[in-house]
Parts: sequence; C-alpha cells; structure tokens
Amino acid sequence: MSNQQKLTEAFSQGLGIESKQVTDALTYNTIPEWDSTAHMILIAELENQFNIMLDTDDIIDMSSVAKAKEILSKHDISFDA
Amino acid sequence: MLTGYQVTLRDVVENDLDQLREWRNLPEVRQFMLSDSTIDDEQQRAWFKKVQRDKTQRHFVIEYKGQAIGSANIKSRGNNIPIEQANVIEPGLYIGEAKYRQNILAFAPTLLLNDYCFNKLGVTKLVAVVKPDNQAALNYNAKLGYKVVNQGELIDISLNFEDYQLHTQQLKAFLSR
Repeated sequence: MSNQQKLTEAFSQGLGIESKQVTDALTYNTIPEWDSTAHMILIAELENQFNIMLDTDDIIDMSSVAKAKEILSKHDISFDA
Repeated sequence: MLTGYQVTLRDVVENDLDQLREWRNLPEVRQFMLSDSTIDDEQQRAWFKKVQRDKTQRHFVIEYKGQAIGSANIKSRGNNIPIEQANVIEPGLYIGEAKYRQNILAFAPTLLLNDYCFNKLGVTKLVAVVKPDNQAALNYNAKLGYKVVNQGELIDISLNFEDYQLHTQQLKAFLSR
C-alpha cells in the first residue's frame, strides 16, 4: 500500500467517511464527522498506519489532510507520486 | 496564572484591551454572545475598571506558544459570591485567532479552566447559557460532558465533575503528551 493509500485509509477509518472525501482541502470541524472525538481516533489511525508517535504540537497542527502530509513528512514519510 | 494542555491563562492587563476589543468585535465572535453589539474603547475601559475590582469574576488572556490567541473568563453564579467561595461557576471563552478556532487546541483553555474550577476552587458544577443557533458551542460543550438542563429562548447547560472526568480523559491525554 502506498503512503497516499495509507493516509486515505487512516482518514477514512478515523473519521468514518468515504475515501473519495479525503482530499487535501478537507479540514477539521468543516464536516460533522471530523469533530474532536474523531480527531483523536484519526491520530491513533495515523500512528498505526505509519508506525509513528505524534507529539501534542503535531496533534494540534493536524487541522487538514494537507497539513497531515506536511507533518508526516517530518517523519520521513513521503507523498510524492 | 494557569498553565497546562500547551496553553497559559494569565490575567488580563490594560495592554491587552485593544487586542481583546478587536477580537470581541469580530462578527464571527460576537454573533453568539448574549450581548452581541460592538463595544467601543470607552465602554471597554469602563468594563476593565469594573472587573478589576469585581471579586465575582476573573478574566484571562489565552496564550499558546507565547502568542495571545483568545480570552477566557469565569463568573460565580449567585448573589455577589467571590470566585474563591463559589459553588457554581459560569465559564466563558472565545478564540480570537481564526486559525485556532477550528482546531482541537480550542479545548485546551477550557480543560485548564475547568480543572481549576473543580480541583482548585472546589465548585460542584459549571453552567453556561448558549444561544439555540450556536450549534458549534452546543457540540463543543457536549464533548466536555455538559448536559442540557433547560431549553427555552436560551439553552441552559450544566456540567458536574463526574461527567467532566468521564468525557475528557482521552482529550486531556492527547493534549498532554
């Protein structure tokens, strides 16, 4: 599975939404599914998918799919095509 | 000064007033306030003078990474009861910096303030009054364990210590890594 697929899977599972809804523009609290509870489930999904541990700053900064990619890239996870 | 969950709450000082008024007058901030008209410099200075002497309320600036991002307050419920002796407190909050409004960080100052009220001040419950169209605040407060106690022109909500503990355990852990 590519990193993009893992990311999409984590968002889809974490937020309980369809994969096609997972775009870079998707932002916290802009859809009913991405609330604070789902945000914490999402963090756990991302940590499982990529086998990483995010710190609190990352959890706070992760306010969109685009931002998630940026944060994950700090953990040497690349989303190049 | 209160510190925790990555944020600091410090008492409002005179130098904060311009920034606070700028935020307070933003349409997206004041639309859900019970008193939703704009305030001018004179009104704000009069308010500051009053609250400085008022033992029944306390007003804070919220700071994240050294930057002011919003304001929080607590007011005792009852007849002129000083904050330190209150059994019931009404907390209030707004995030002025737009980028933190739609962010999980918006829970941090409330967690800090609620911990202070329950653990330090020993209050039995927290209460709030919310406009019925303020769905964001209703959702936000439900996540903290608040329950609706009266639904009229305004919605009264209430939170006891047990419900607060139960609902916020995971959120606190995520904001305290």
